[in-house]
Amino acid sequence: MAKLWAIIKREYLERVRTRWFIFATVFGPVFLGSLIIIPAYMAKGRTSSNEFTNAIILDATTSGIGQRVADAMSVGRPPGSAAPNVRVVAPAELSQAESTSTHLVMNKQASGYLVLTDQTLKGEELHYAGRNATSITDMERLRSTVKETIISQRLEKEGVKPARLKELTFMPLRLNAERITDKGRGGSGTVSIIFAGVVAFLLYMSIVLYGQNVLRGVLEEKTTRVAEVVVSSVPAETLLAGKVLGVGAVGLTQQVIWVVTTLFMIKLRAPILAGLGIPVTPFELPQISPWLALLLLLFFVFGFTFYASLYAAVGSSVNTEQEAQQAMQPLLILLVATAVFINPILLNPTSRMATVMSILPFSAPIIMPLRLALGSVPWYELAGSLVSLALSCIVAVWLAARIYRVGLLMYGKRPTLREMGRWVRYAH
Amino acid sequence: MADHAVQIENVGKRYADHVAVRDLTLHIPKGSVYGLLGPNGAGKTTTIRMILNIIAPDQGAIRIFGTPSSDARITDRIGYLPEERGLYRKMQVRRILRFLAELKGVPAKVADVRITEWLERLELKTAEKDWGLSKIDELSRGMKQKVQFIGTLLHDPDLVILDEPFSGLDPINAQALKDTIMDLRHNGKTVIFSTHLMDNAERICDSVCIIARGEKVLDGSITDIKQSHGTRNIALSLDGGATNGVSEILADRKLVSRVDDSNRYFEIEMAPGANSQELLRRIVATGAPVQRFELVQASLHQIFLERVGASGVEMGMTGHG
Repeated sequence: MAKLWAIIKREYLERVRTRWFIFATVFGPVFLGSLIIIPAYMAKGRTSSNEFTNAIILDATTSGIGQRVADAMSVGRPPGSAAPNVRVVAPAELSQAESTSTHLVMNKQASGYLVLTDQTLKGEELHYAGRNATSITDMERLRSTVKETIISQRLEKEGVKPARLKELTFMPLRLNAERITDKGRGGSGTVSIIFAGVVAFLLYMSIVLYGQNVLRGVLEEKTTRVAEVVVSSVPAETLLAGKVLGVGAVGLTQQVIWVVTTLFMIKLRAPILAGLGIPVTPFELPQISPWLALLLLLFFVFGFTFYASLYAAVGSSVNTEQEAQQAMQPLLILLVATAVFINPILLNPTSRMATVMSILPFSAPIIMPLRLALGSVPWYELAGSLVSLALSCIVAVWLAARIYRVGLLMYGKRPTLREMGRWVRYAH
Repeated sequence: MADHAVQIENVGKRYADHVAVRDLTLHIPKGSVYGLLGPNGAGKTTTIRMILNIIAPDQGAIRIFGTPSSDARITDRIGYLPEERGLYRKMQVRRILRFLAELKGVPAKVADVRITEWLERLELKTAEKDWGLSKIDELSRGMKQKVQFIGTLLHDPDLVILDEPFSGLDPINAQALKDTIMDLRHNGKTVIFSTHLMDNAERICDSVCIIARGEKVLDGSITDIKQSHGTRNIALSLDGGATNGVSEILADRKLVSRVDDSNRYFEIEMAPGANSQELLRRIVATGAPVQRFELVQASLHQIFLERVGASGVEMGMTGHG
């Protein structure tokens, strides 16, 4: 046990001391924190008219709608910036006006042009061409501005007084979606989807990163021949166990630091935003019970052990970094295939696909925690997932230990699958 | 038996496509320096790995100080220097040595004291520079070898196994290694080393074993081995090298069965029944300037060539280093 401890200690300390670890550990929360603060800061003082201040409005109607749209777009316009330029054109000259405007946009004298026709007034069609045409939010804002302007004009025709118009048409209408699970109402739907997504992504990332880290560690020991010195002092299985546990502890350390500092930054968010003079919108934290935390930890431990032992087996069977890149493809494909399903399962966590992927050992360590974070999972599915993962873990560790023990001292040609099968059957 | 450090009894190891070691029996006396000689691929490294329990023999038994080699506790009494040396490249020298000591059950505090002693003894820690605080990557090749050697001896092992310890050493480090092996012997430790270099083995070893193609060719103490090969050999030195006349005489298979020509020095094995005095007379008659003509015991080198044969030698003796 003292020797196993010495190996765990070495694996852990040598990794935690590296610049890469310190950078990633510090940078992670800073990055997350900036994700929380910067968008709010960027949004500050920005109004809907910004992207269209320099736009051209080609009004081919005779209703004067062009000027009204321009006025609506200018609301909250920063002082000193140009208002949209309205040009009333005859329908016959529209195509000529459009090509002139296109040139102006190309020469950066205008940001884009909006075409209002009789079809627009009927509520059928609206045309816009400009540099920001791919921005979904800009286009949606433009559409609703024009729509609201047309509605106002129609209401006016029906005799509604201009003073009443604003009262009637203005409505911010926020949607508060709440989720209902088997246990009743369960907080904001968005928050738990984000939380589950983060959990799944963190698990995926740490298994990929630290699994490959184990592989590289094994390969280093093999190529520098340190392995031979170590296995003359301890059994190969002890070295394997120490490596997997030590590297796993590094991954866990990093995650704990990330989670704690992120929670801390979310606490600090309100004062920071207030200090910058930005209105504070409420930010809801997911509810994490100790039971859920324990389950998440359990899935990480099993999932990491499963993949890390297989990565170690791969590392012991190759001789160079290039061979390793090739040989680990199957493992990476299993992980990426799982990651691809994170999104669909987030949207539909009770589908058959979700159920199957929570049982399969290669996807269970990522998909099951995701579903747990989303809400309740039937106990038998949870138990099935855990049992399947635990059993596969034992098989993976057993297989890996046998391949590792032989592979570590074999140099030269990369073994075929059949040769590796023979290694597994070697008595010792 | 208490007077044997290592007993290897009828050990065999077979891989998928070849037999690495065949029915090997060796008794290595306690407190001796033991040489394991043989060409590459002879099974030396496999034998060493089996002694260390890195791989298990398919058959036979190995006992170390009377204990089966598979007993986990016995590894703490063995120090091992593998043929291909390597250390964690990014690790600090002191930390790596402490790690190696801990793997042998030495507590970190005890290890720290010994590490300082060793670093000073091998001049890795001087008044100007303490290499113990450097990373392995920053060390020269010779320094790395010293660090690895410290790692082998840090836990004060009773049995020290060195696989090709002289390969790649410059003359100064080779001398230092030889001195250390002698020190270990004086302190009652047992040293086993494998080598291609017969001169080294002949000078340092108490006993040797020559193996080829996985089998023991001969073993025993250096004295016994040399005595049993008799004194049919002649050491001949000529000033200025061999003349044509001398070469002709040495090529006479009725007189000489084998010659090792080292330019000015010749080791000559007489043909069975040939008279050494006649050889001397004929060489002098050519007018060659003889500096030395002496009846000697065969060198280990000659014995090795004779017993292992040219084919095995060609594999092993080329490009060793």
